[in-house]
Amino acid sequence: MTISRRDMIQATAAAMALPALAKAPSPSPKPLFFTPGEFALVDEMSDMIIPTDAQSGGARAAGVAAYIDGRLAEAFEKDEPQGWRAGIQAVEALSQEMHAKTFMGSTPEQRLALLTRIAAAESDPKTDAEKFFRTIKSGTIRAYYTSKIGIHDDQRYKGNVIQPGEYAGYDAT
Amino acid sequence: MTLIRFKLSQEQDVDLSRTYDAVVVGSGAAGGMAAHVLTSQGMKVLLLEAGKKIPIEQELRSMEWPYDHPRRGEAPPGDHAIRYNEYTVRQPPYAKGSAFKHVFSYVGGWGGSDYVKNILVDEKDHPYTGTRYAWVRARLLGGKTNIWGRLALRLSDYDFKGKTHDGYGEDWPISYADLEPYYDKVDLYLGISGHKENLPHLPDSLFQRPNKLSAAEVKLRQSLKQMGRTLTPYRAGVTTDGVKNKYRSKCFGRGACGRRPGGCDIHAAFDSPTGLIYPAMDTGNLTLRTNAIAHEVLVDPKTGKARGISFVDAQNHKTYEAKAKVVVLAASTLESARLLLLSKSRQYPNGIGNTSGHVGHNFCEHVMGPGVTGLVKELVGTEPTLDDGKPGGFYVARFRNLEDKQPGFIRGYGFEGGSGFSIFPDSAWNTPGFGGQFKKSVRDHAGAFIGLGGFGEVLARYENYVDLDPEVKDAWGIPVLRFHYQFGDNEKKMCEDMANAGKEMLEAAGIEVIGVDKNILTEGWSIHELGTARMGNDPKTSVLNQFQQSHDVKNLFVVDGSSHVSASCQNPTWTIMALAWRSCEHLADEFKRGNV
Repeated sequence: MTISRRDMIQATAAAMALPALAKAPSPSPKPLFFTPGEFALVDEMSDMIIPTDAQSGGARAAGVAAYIDGRLAEAFEKDEPQGWRAGIQAVEALSQEMHAKTFMGSTPEQRLALLTRIAAAESDPKTDAEKFFRTIKSGTIRAYYTSKIGIHDDQRYKGNVIQPGEYAGYDAT
Repeated sequence: MTLIRFKLSQEQDVDLSRTYDAVVVGSGAAGGMAAHVLTSQGMKVLLLEAGKKIPIEQELRSMEWPYDHPRRGEAPPGDHAIRYNEYTVRQPPYAKGSAFKHVFSYVGGWGGSDYVKNILVDEKDHPYTGTRYAWVRARLLGGKTNIWGRLALRLSDYDFKGKTHDGYGEDWPISYADLEPYYDKVDLYLGISGHKENLPHLPDSLFQRPNKLSAAEVKLRQSLKQMGRTLTPYRAGVTTDGVKNKYRSKCFGRGACGRRPGGCDIHAAFDSPTGLIYPAMDTGNLTLRTNAIAHEVLVDPKTGKARGISFVDAQNHKTYEAKAKVVVLAASTLESARLLLLSKSRQYPNGIGNTSGHVGHNFCEHVMGPGVTGLVKELVGTEPTLDDGKPGGFYVARFRNLEDKQPGFIRGYGFEGGSGFSIFPDSAWNTPGFGGQFKKSVRDHAGAFIGLGGFGEVLARYENYVDLDPEVKDAWGIPVLRFHYQFGDNEKKMCEDMANAGKEMLEAAGIEVIGVDKNILTEGWSIHELGTARMGNDPKTSVLNQFQQSHDVKNLFVVDGSSHVSASCQNPTWTIMALAWRSCEHLADEFKRGNV
């Protein structure tokens, strides 16, 4: 039995991603874990991390916030959802400090300024708000690239199909 | 493609009042092969499997899209897979005191753990103690063959005659010429995909249609040729042209085996149930008893011969006896050793077949972890291609200590690798920033990476061993294994060389090295444990003879990886099956002559 390097990388990725969590990612009008305010912030921030572009829809279109919400709602380890909640509060506190407004009450330019600030420390986050950037970015990556939009529209993944004849690729010569 | 599902004949009722010709313990690669060979020779065989038979196709759901699964493939809340850092900071038993409902080995945590939660054992029920070890176990019909990595390689006389070559350890009591006809039989009966390379140290099989390579792999293959090294399409224990077996389909390049921890719901990848056991049941000579946890080889006090197996029913916890003229153990390297050690009697106070004191010792495997990741610049921003629709990536054959002599270590290693587009762009985790730039960067780079990781031979050493823990028992009250096992200096030096050699190979091919991993993964990670009841010609220093027959008890055979004398660096499954075929053919001949 062997584990390919790719599997290894995936194993690491999985370990970095959210731990065991939640239910169907069906876009639910009423969040299961987040308050409506928290949900709006996660929805907005995830869509700033992976926005819509000419190629494909972004995190909002892919239902990233709803997926994360569902997973957190049934998390076995309660410190995980609590960590998200505390992170959102840290972002709100930073938003008050920077702009004297809530994150969602800020202008798009102000939100971008905040996100840019907490993302700058990505490789070595220190404050709770900086740590939250890593949390929400991981959650967004995981949810977006496993979504229909992420796999088919953005990545245009060609696999998981039946190849009745030759495999795609090149011969070893 | 139409998939025809065959309804299996009802498992035969198990008549425990009769004496079978042979009882086989374990239904993985070795046990399945024993069942196949012995029943085809007309012997009446009882096959005991500790786990249950599960509806594996429903379990694997190979083509399910992530978004069609409620948790995108992850296991239910309350399930936990042990992480790398847990293995490194803690000692076994790893599940002790865990608040989680179920705890699985690390395999339960990658690429869709929901698909293996009924395949891997729950560590809470199956503890072990001693030194750190990532022990991956699958208790169900077919064992680990249900999710194995499919790399199907032959060993050569560089392995069988390793001592002759470099003076270390022991030679095997057989040579390549002894095993070659049986490798051929395994190839033809089960199907194997690969490309002929004519390498003396990695003999070719009788290959079916080979895998293809990606653009990056072609580039690396061409460059390695200049260095005298060989990158070959993954030699997969997968039938790409089909075999005569109504339970199996040929491969349709769906790529599911690379997206998940393994497993193939159309059984193009070899698994023991469809490849070996169901056809053996169709002979009418095989009786299967699942949920049968063997815990003792029973001994006839008058003759000293084995007379059967005592087992506990996994569900009702009652003890039963299965009687047989021959006992064949194939419970896996570590479980067979455990069973031998558990089988203490007046005649065999140290465990059956253990007069040498070598049972549990000379335990070896493959060391892994070091590897490299490269970026193929000319592939950045290219159109997506279908790169993962095949049963594996590539393999780089061993190149160390063949004709040369390395200063720091003996023996060698090979690399497994992959490249190109896959269902999930792993590089997203390491791409900094956010926004349109981030998204485009992930998209542009998704297919441009190539990665390879080494698998090296761990030297068989007497002082690396397992024994029984005097205190700790499993959920069925059976004493568990205690590990005394650590990588040594040779492995550490070899691992340094792996990382350096990987880097050197990518650089020579003009591929930008973006990551060099030097970490050695926890002992056990390769899931290639071997050697706890080695073969040999000398009964004082070995447990089995060249036919995997106990030196002490002539009607006792151990036909799994525990018999291997050294680990080689080539993956063991194909060798396990070729050896079991050879031994069981010998066993059947001797049985007919009344010699066992």
